[in-house]
Amino acid sequence: MTETPPDSPQNTRPSLSDALHTLFDPKNVAVVGASRTKGKLGQALLELLKKNNYRGKVIPVNPSGGEIEGLKVAKSLSEIDEPIDVAVISTPVEIALDALEECARIGVKVVVGVTSGFNEAGEDGTENEARLQRILKTAPFRLIGPNCEGVVRPRSDLQLTFSPMFDGLDDGPVAMISQSGALAGLMALRLGERGVGLSAIVSSGNETDITAADLMEHFGEDPVTRVILCYLEELRDGRRFAEVAKKLTDAGKHVVVVKGGRSGAGTRAVQSHTGAMAGDDRVVSSIFREVGVIRARDSVSAVDATIALATGRKPAGRRVAIISVTGGLGVEMTDMAETEGFEVPVLADKTQKALSEYVPYYGSVTNPVDLTGVVLANPSYVGRCLEAVLDDPGIDIAIAIITFVPNQTFVEALAEAYKKTNKPVLIIWTGASRSAASGDAFRENGVPLYDSPARAASGLAALRGAGEVQ
Amino acid sequence: MSARDKLQSWVNAGRKVVHEGDAKALLGDLGIPVPERDPTEGPLVVKLCHDDFPHKSDHGLVKLNVSPQDAPAIAAEMSARVPGGVPLVEAMEKNSVAEWIVGCKIDATFGPIVLAGPGGVLVELLDAGEIRLAPATPETASQMLGSGAGAKLLAGMRGAPAADSAALADLISKISVFFAEHADLISEIEVNPVMVRADGAGLVAADALIILREDTQT
Repeated sequence: MTETPPDSPQNTRPSLSDALHTLFDPKNVAVVGASRTKGKLGQALLELLKKNNYRGKVIPVNPSGGEIEGLKVAKSLSEIDEPIDVAVISTPVEIALDALEECARIGVKVVVGVTSGFNEAGEDGTENEARLQRILKTAPFRLIGPNCEGVVRPRSDLQLTFSPMFDGLDDGPVAMISQSGALAGLMALRLGERGVGLSAIVSSGNETDITAADLMEHFGEDPVTRVILCYLEELRDGRRFAEVAKKLTDAGKHVVVVKGGRSGAGTRAVQSHTGAMAGDDRVVSSIFREVGVIRARDSVSAVDATIALATGRKPAGRRVAIISVTGGLGVEMTDMAETEGFEVPVLADKTQKALSEYVPYYGSVTNPVDLTGVVLANPSYVGRCLEAVLDDPGIDIAIAIITFVPNQTFVEALAEAYKKTNKPVLIIWTGASRSAASGDAFRENGVPLYDSPARAASGLAALRGAGEVQ
Repeated sequence: MSARDKLQSWVNAGRKVVHEGDAKALLGDLGIPVPERDPTEGPLVVKLCHDDFPHKSDHGLVKLNVSPQDAPAIAAEMSARVPGGVPLVEAMEKNSVAEWIVGCKIDATFGPIVLAGPGGVLVELLDAGEIRLAPATPETASQMLGSGAGAKLLAGMRGAPAADSAALADLISKISVFFAEHADLISEIEVNPVMVRADGAGLVAADALIILREDTQT
């Protein structure tokens, strides 16, 4: 692991690795700007720490002292008589800068800067930014943010954020890095709803100190993390980001990136064809492809891609079987699979024979398989049909499409079939809200679940290259 | 003088665009094939190189299919039109089967990158450059040639002979290494077109341009 070299000989900054280990499992957290007033960030932060059962010690800091949420309040950071692992600062910027200087004096290990008003504020933030840079030059701490929504680590029951979007998430195979807190919230919530856990979420904000590349490298060493999902507007150290991403993808992890602001291509006059042909956005796409990063066009398709990758199942090839309770959805999915470079080949004779036991003559057993409405009356059939196509040695990936479900057995049977194979399986359930069945069996088993062929196609596309050398 | 010293001397002299004559001499020193200069047999190409006119043909500063007898007069006419220019008389490449563009620049996000794709007139028609981080290994360069719209052209379309992809991959890698090693002095380098001959017959860099960084005078 490459460490950021210390800026000066007397610098005692913790290494990146030490700092991030501390950040994700701190013994204590000081909340600067802690408040009793509903609506203040410092109040929400304290409430969410408590609500999510953080096991370490929480020390509210507020000059008025007293008690908040049953916790004794320190009037200042200096008043705290124990070493502080993490300080989270959510005060207005002038107070935050004073607090940062105090953090430097007393030797806090990691600071999470929620406060805004630095270079992201344009000219108004110039002076604050300059002061922040001066502090960072000699500071013994490492900084997340500023201008971020905070850090979430379900494994440590740690919610260092004022946003309720990350409440109650489970640990799991996805680590998230987002330069926008709101995008992180959207993606985390959607992942959680579909039963995918998160190993960590970092709203990285301005990345004045710790960058997306730093975080990605750290997550690459976490054995639980399979997918690193990023929303990035500005790649602060693109070269290192590319190098770290290559290292991770070579090692079998996945990196999914939504790169925002793609329309802001350079407008400077170019003297060479190379300059004209290698526009900013094209370079991003090209280099991402070179280093194995999956570029998603938006946050929703990024989540859809991530869900398919989070299972850790890698297809041996690009041959897809599609089974559907309706012809139309099977046809749409087939078109999309082929557009994404997959094959939907005719199934083996043996497989077709096995399917014929369940599929009436007016259905189809070739591929896409049209199970017809008959299976609605026989809820276990759909599971057996999924097993049959997964047993076909000529099939690498299976997609099962259901609409409304009259019976819980339907869902259970599909989840059971999923558990019996190591091949990637995607489920499309178009009518979950109109079904007399719960999807818990899918969520509990980490089955990739989509509401439409278009969204499943984003998942399928991510599997392209997940198991093969490109 | 080493390539680095030469580049630095150009920067120090205040040059921003290094014209074809000097750029190709430098590439020649790196072992990249360039057309023979002042050959005694034709046909020849006569050009006038000037830092201020990188797009020579737009200014009538390129003449093709010239005989060795006519070359001096044409060079003199161009020189009279553009004072300060340097005439360049070269062998005209007749055996190429594909024209390619190979360029490097410093990307604001990723640093040095290399681009390769169908060159010459196809640059604007196809706009099909493959882009990778520079320096690129010969293996990476080969992959660039095997993907995108250009792959078919190199393979030889409709019975045309296949181009010397190995020589082209080698050139791409070489230029990308040179660029990455000198990216403190150069902001862009471009060879367009590279005239690629049939497989096994090599290639020649028919035109080249170097753009220097403006902030590195010493």
